[in-house]
Amino acid sequence: MKGVLILFLCCFSIFNTAQNAALFEQANALYNQGKYAEAISKYETILSSKEHSAALYFNLGNAHYKLNNIAPSIFYFEKAKLLSPNDKEIQNNLSFAQNMTVDAIDKVPDVGFSKLFSNLVNRFSADMWSKISIGGVLLFVLLFLLYHFANATAQKRIAFVISILSITVALFSLVMAFQKNGLEEKNNPAIVFAQESRIQADPNKTSEELFRLHEGTKVQILEAYNDWYKIEIADKTIGWILKEEIKLLNEFY
Amino acid sequence: MNLKRDITLFILLLLSSTVIAQVKFEAKVSKSKLGINERLRIDFEMNKDGDNFVPPNFEDFTVVGGPNTSVSNYWSNGKRSFTKTYSYFLSPKKQGSFTIKQAKIEIEGEVYKTFPVTIRVTEAIEQPKNPNDPAYIASQNIHLVAEVSKANPYLNEAITIVYKLYVALDTGVSGWRDKETPRFNDFWNQNIEVKAFNPQNAKYNGEDYRYVVLKKYVLYPQKTGPLKLEPYVLDLTVEVPTSRYNIFGDRIVKKVPQTITAGKRTINVKALPENGKPADFNGAVGDFSFNVTTSKLSLDAGESLQAKVEVSGEGNLKLFELPKLSLPSSLEVYEPEHSENVRTNLSGMQGKISDTYTIVPQYKGKYPLPEISFSYFDTKSKSYKRLSSDEIILDVINGPSSASPSADSEESSVVKQAVTSNSNTFAFIKTNANWIAKNKKQFFKSTFFWSLLLIPFLFIPIAIFIRRNQERRNADVIGNKRRKADRLAKKYLSEAKKALGKKEAFYVALEKAFHNYLKAKLHIETSDFNKEKIKDLLKERQVEAPVITDFISILENCELARYTPITQVTMKNDYEKSVTTIGAIDKQIR
Repeated sequence: MKGVLILFLCCFSIFNTAQNAALFEQANALYNQGKYAEAISKYETILSSKEHSAALYFNLGNAHYKLNNIAPSIFYFEKAKLLSPNDKEIQNNLSFAQNMTVDAIDKVPDVGFSKLFSNLVNRFSADMWSKISIGGVLLFVLLFLLYHFANATAQKRIAFVISILSITVALFSLVMAFQKNGLEEKNNPAIVFAQESRIQADPNKTSEELFRLHEGTKVQILEAYNDWYKIEIADKTIGWILKEEIKLLNEFY
Repeated sequence: MNLKRDITLFILLLLSSTVIAQVKFEAKVSKSKLGINERLRIDFEMNKDGDNFVPPNFEDFTVVGGPNTSVSNYWSNGKRSFTKTYSYFLSPKKQGSFTIKQAKIEIEGEVYKTFPVTIRVTEAIEQPKNPNDPAYIASQNIHLVAEVSKANPYLNEAITIVYKLYVALDTGVSGWRDKETPRFNDFWNQNIEVKAFNPQNAKYNGEDYRYVVLKKYVLYPQKTGPLKLEPYVLDLTVEVPTSRYNIFGDRIVKKVPQTITAGKRTINVKALPENGKPADFNGAVGDFSFNVTTSKLSLDAGESLQAKVEVSGEGNLKLFELPKLSLPSSLEVYEPEHSENVRTNLSGMQGKISDTYTIVPQYKGKYPLPEISFSYFDTKSKSYKRLSSDEIILDVINGPSSASPSADSEESSVVKQAVTSNSNTFAFIKTNANWIAKNKKQFFKSTFFWSLLLIPFLFIPIAIFIRRNQERRNADVIGNKRRKADRLAKKYLSEAKKALGKKEAFYVALEKAFHNYLKAKLHIETSDFNKEKIKDLLKERQVEAPVITDFISILENCELARYTPITQVTMKNDYEKSVTTIGAIDKQIR
C-alpha cells in the first residue's frame, strides 16, 4: 500500500515537473515575443505549483522590468538571488531594476574584522557549511585511523598533521554554519510595494512621520505588531510601516 | 375794611421799592439740549457793574472760548440801561445730563449768584449744513468709493479692490495727491497700474456723476479671520461753483481743499475646508492644469534632458510651491530652474509657473519618473481637485551599466553600486529551470546532518577494537595453526562429503583431511607422514588404542580404495567413521 502511494507520488511529481517545464517553455517563448504580461501569468501559474527555481524568479523579474513594474521586478530578482546568491546575471539585472528606485539610502558599511567575518560567513549557505563540516569529519576519521595503524613514521606524521587540520576545518565550518543559520533566521527582508510609503515613529497612523520610502526599496523586518511591521533600512534607521505596503521575500508559497 | 386796604397799600409800596432797586445777575445758555458734537454758549449777564466774577468750574465741559466780556451801556428816554456779559463757549465731554453750577459776582458790596443750569447732552446730531458753504458743497459732490469684489473670500482666493472717485457733473477737480496710499496687511497684493483716467458717467445715489478709477488692487488673503483694510486717503482741490457770477456771466468757481477717505473696511477670510483636504495640498487656490514633460524620452548616458513641471491657469500662481519631481536616485539631477510667466489683472493672476530640472543619466537602463500629483482648491466648485502627471519612462540606450561584479553580500542590494561593468546589457531570461521543491528542508540541524557528523567518530573505536582483536589472534601462533587445521579438516571432510559416491575424489579428499588434521593437531610435517609415527604420536598424546586403530584403518582404506572397487555403502561408512574418529581424537588428545 505504502509502496503504491510512493509510486503514485513520484509519478505525480514527475508529471508536475513535466507540466512546469512545458509552461516554462511557453512563457519563455512569450517573453521572447515581447508578450511580457502573458509570460508573467504563465510564470505565476508555475509559482502556484510546489516547485520553484532561481531561473523562474529571474525570468519573472525580467518580465516585470520590461513592463516597468519597479517593485515586482526587484522583488523577484531578490527572490532569485536568495535561491542562487552568486549568480552574476541576477545581480546584473537586479542593479538595472534598482536604477528605477527613488530612494537613495547610505549603507552603513561593515569595517575591519566584522567585514572580514561577515564576508566569510556569507560565502556559503548554512547547508554548504554543514556539508563542509561533515566532509572534514570524515576526512579526520580516515586520517586518524591511518595515523593509528600506519607503521612508517613519515606516513604517521603526515596523516596526523592532515587529520588535525581537517578536524579544525570541520569545527570551524560547524561554527560558521551556526553563524550563517543565525543570520538567515534574523534576515527577513521585504520590498516596499506602495508607490510612496510613510514610515511612522509608532505603529499607528497618528504618530509622527519619520521619513518616506518609495517603491522598490529593500527593508529588513524586525518585528510585527497588529497591521504594522517594524523595519530597518540600510542606514540603520528604524520605523514602522503598514503590512500591506511591503511584501516579504522569505515567504515562498 | 380799613385794615385790608392798609395791607394792600403796604404791599404795593414794598413791591415798587424792590422794582427800583433790582440788580439782575443771570446765567443764559444758548440751548439746554445739545448733541455731543455741538457747542454751547453760556452768558453770565448783569445789569450793574460788579467785581470779582467767579465762573463756575465747567467740569463736564471743555472751555473752547471765553471768557469774553462785553459791556453795553445806552440811554433811552433818559433811562440808562447797562448790561455786562461774560461769555463762554463750551464743548461737552460726554453724553448725559450735567449741571453748570453757580457763578458769583459782587455788586455794590453784595454777592449775587446765578441759578444752576441743567444741560442735556445727547448723541451727535447732524450738523445743519449750509448749502452755500463751498466746503459743504465739495463734500457733497465728491465721493471716493472702494469697491471690493468679495467680502468673505477663501484663504488665497483673489479679491479685487477698485477705488473710484465720483464727481458731480457741475463740480471739478483740479488736482489730487495721495495722502495715504491703501495698505493691506496680511494680504498679498498687487497694484494694477491705471494708465489713463478715463472719466465715465455713472449714477451715484440716483444722481448723475462722472467717475474715474484711481487705483486697482488684486489681493490674496494670507490669513484667515477678519482682516482690516487700511483706508485710502486723498487730498483734493475741488472747484465748487458759487452763486456769484463774473462780469461775463460765468459762475465764479471757488477752489476748496478737501480730504476724502475710502475703503476702511474688514474682510472676513474663510479658511479652506479641512474636509477632504489632500495630503499634497500646498495652498494653491484657483483653477489650474498640471503637466510634466521631458525634452526627450530616450537618450544616451551623459546627455542631458530637461524635465518640466508646469502649472498653468488662474489663481494664486506666485503664492505656492510646485510639487517636487521625485527622481530615481541613480540619476544626476540639478537644482530646478523656476520660471514664472504670470500676468495679473483684475480677475487675479493668470499664466503659468514651471520648474525645469536638468537631468543627466549616468548609467544605461530605464528610469521611471514617478507620477506626481498637484492638488488645488477650486473656488468655483468649492472643492479640492487633484491632478496627476503620467508616469514617464526615460530610456537610456547607451552607456555604462551600473551593475557591479563584486556583489556577493546580500545586503548590497540597497546601495547603488559603482560602475564597473562585467556585462553591459540587461541579461536575457534563463532558459534552463532547475526545479527544486519549495518546501525543501534545511539540511543543517537535521537528524541526518547530526548523524553524518557524529557517526564517523564511532568508527575510530570500532576500527581500533577490530584491529586489536586481529592482532591478538595473529600473536597466538599455535592456536592459529590448530584453528587452521580444524578449519582445513572440516573443509576437506566437507569436500569429501561432496565427493561422496565418486570413489577416487572421495578418498583423496578424505586422506587430505586427515593429513591436515594431523598437521594441525600433532604438529607434524607432511614429510613425517607415515602410519607408525602417527601411531606413536597419538599414543603419546594418550589417545585410546581402538580410536588409533580406527584412524589407521581409515588411512589404510584410503590407500586401498584407489586400487579396489568400493561400494557406495563402504564409502558412506568410511566417511561416518572418519567423522567419529576425528571427533574422538579431538576429545582424547592432550
